[in-house]
Amino acid sequence: MRASDINRVLDFVRDAFHEASKLWWRFFDWLAVVEWRQLFLTWFFVVIFFQLVNTPEPGFWYIFISFAVKVLAGGKRKAELMAREATAQANVATLERRLMEAQMAALQAQVEPHFLFNTLALIGQLIETDPKEAARVHAHLIDYLRSTLPQMRQRGGATLGKQVELSRAYLAIMQARMKERLHVRFDVPDFLGSAPFPPMMLQTLIENAIKHGLEPKIEGGTVAVRAHVVGADLHVEVCDDGVGIDPHADDGVGLANIRERLQLLYGAEASLAISTPPGGGACATIRLPYKMMEDA
Amino acid sequence: MVTALIADDEAPMRDLLRARLQQAWPDLQIVAEAANGVEAVELGEKLRPDIAFLDIRMPGLSGIEAARRLYERSHIVFATAYDQYALDAFEQGALDYLLKPVSAERLATTCARLQARLRKRSSADAAPPQDIGQQLAKLTTLLETKGKPEKPTYLRWIQAQVGASLRMVSTREILFFQSDEKYTRVQTGAAEFLIRKTLKELLDELEPDEFWRIHRSTLVRVDAIAEVKRDLRGRQMLKVRGYPGELEVSRNHSYLFQQM
Repeated sequence: MRASDINRVLDFVRDAFHEASKLWWRFFDWLAVVEWRQLFLTWFFVVIFFQLVNTPEPGFWYIFISFAVKVLAGGKRKAELMAREATAQANVATLERRLMEAQMAALQAQVEPHFLFNTLALIGQLIETDPKEAARVHAHLIDYLRSTLPQMRQRGGATLGKQVELSRAYLAIMQARMKERLHVRFDVPDFLGSAPFPPMMLQTLIENAIKHGLEPKIEGGTVAVRAHVVGADLHVEVCDDGVGIDPHADDGVGLANIRERLQLLYGAEASLAISTPPGGGACATIRLPYKMMEDA
Repeated sequence: MVTALIADDEAPMRDLLRARLQQAWPDLQIVAEAANGVEAVELGEKLRPDIAFLDIRMPGLSGIEAARRLYERSHIVFATAYDQYALDAFEQGALDYLLKPVSAERLATTCARLQARLRKRSSADAAPPQDIGQQLAKLTTLLETKGKPEKPTYLRWIQAQVGASLRMVSTREILFFQSDEKYTRVQTGAAEFLIRKTLKELLDELEPDEFWRIHRSTLVRVDAIAEVKRDLRGRQMLKVRGYPGELEVSRNHSYLFQQM
């Protein structure tokens, strides 16, 4: 026999052995937790079945083996399984705690001190040169803070509508600073306003678009926010026509944070995809399961 | 008459500085305003103002880079909101700077100092101190590396053609690369992409601590490795978080997973 044939046989033997042991252990686990009453019932049916086919021995073997296993090892196995379940629950608890921590971290990072500082400076200077504009920026800042800060306490902020509102206020402030260098386009249908959407993700994407895409570009450009439903998913997209992405630039904590939170909240059902369209700039798309409104 | 140039990408900040300067130094003539670094250099070279107020973070050309082109002709005053590295450097190098938003008192002190310097310069007809050029060069590298020692830059994004656009896949999303005849397969938790870059090229460009070569045709991200085990034939097999299959470690690379 050639070496490859030997390998093939070995592979087959290994797979068969693997399957058989898996089945046996599954049977074993079932025996450990099944109630005696149900076990009696299966004995009854098995005996009847094997009597009908006129070979009663396998039936008796089944009764004998399952009885012996349950009496001898069942208690220990049951304890093990319960311990494992408890561990799994503890893991869920750990996961939930990590989720909380991730959210807290995101929330703590949400009002960037520089942003607040620059905006207050802007308002201060507009009071002298353009009081009307100062009042407008001031109102936007209040909107922004109002929709940003209470998220620590109430759950109502985690809808797409709220997040869009927050982003509009933020962008209005940035427009007052960057003037004609920043254009903004929103394409979010009203009916999507009530859809659940995690806080501070849209915000991070918009901040990135401005900071890395448009601010370094002399003539500035447009930030476009678009939301639509594709099949069972909600897609929220932030695109800019700025300088694009340098393949050697670090992707930063912001995006890693979004990815981790999506993973914690939705597992494989959500994703963040970054792309660069042929016309230049950058697009970030969050995909997550679409729901009409938050669960009560 | 003393002339000045103001460069800042945010119009309200230019307005504020102009208004404050008019109060603090009514004789100063502001001859131009620039909205980015390129414009600042152009206007500065054309108009040769005595003083250039330069914001540090500007598109096109940073204030520091602009200063390197203008300092021989104009006295430079930097304006910045928060760059700590820059502030430290300014203090050490005795370069003039203003903290934004500019306060009236601070600007008055700066103006008085500027007036004194300009008087001295015109009386002695001296060129600006020689070391300013060197200081600016040092500042440029300092700001680029943000005070950290220079590190080689590694590839952080893999570009994969998907339809008409380029998908940017962060290296942190990637589980492994596997060469597949003409292409290289990029596997993430959710998807796979094909790229034309060869494993050899990737190996040269990726951070060596982030990705390990475990096989002639496989590069795996170290953080994604879940466990290493041996199969019945004695081969080392890698399990990767978020991917159901297993990756083979070739004998040449098994030293990576020796027991401690």
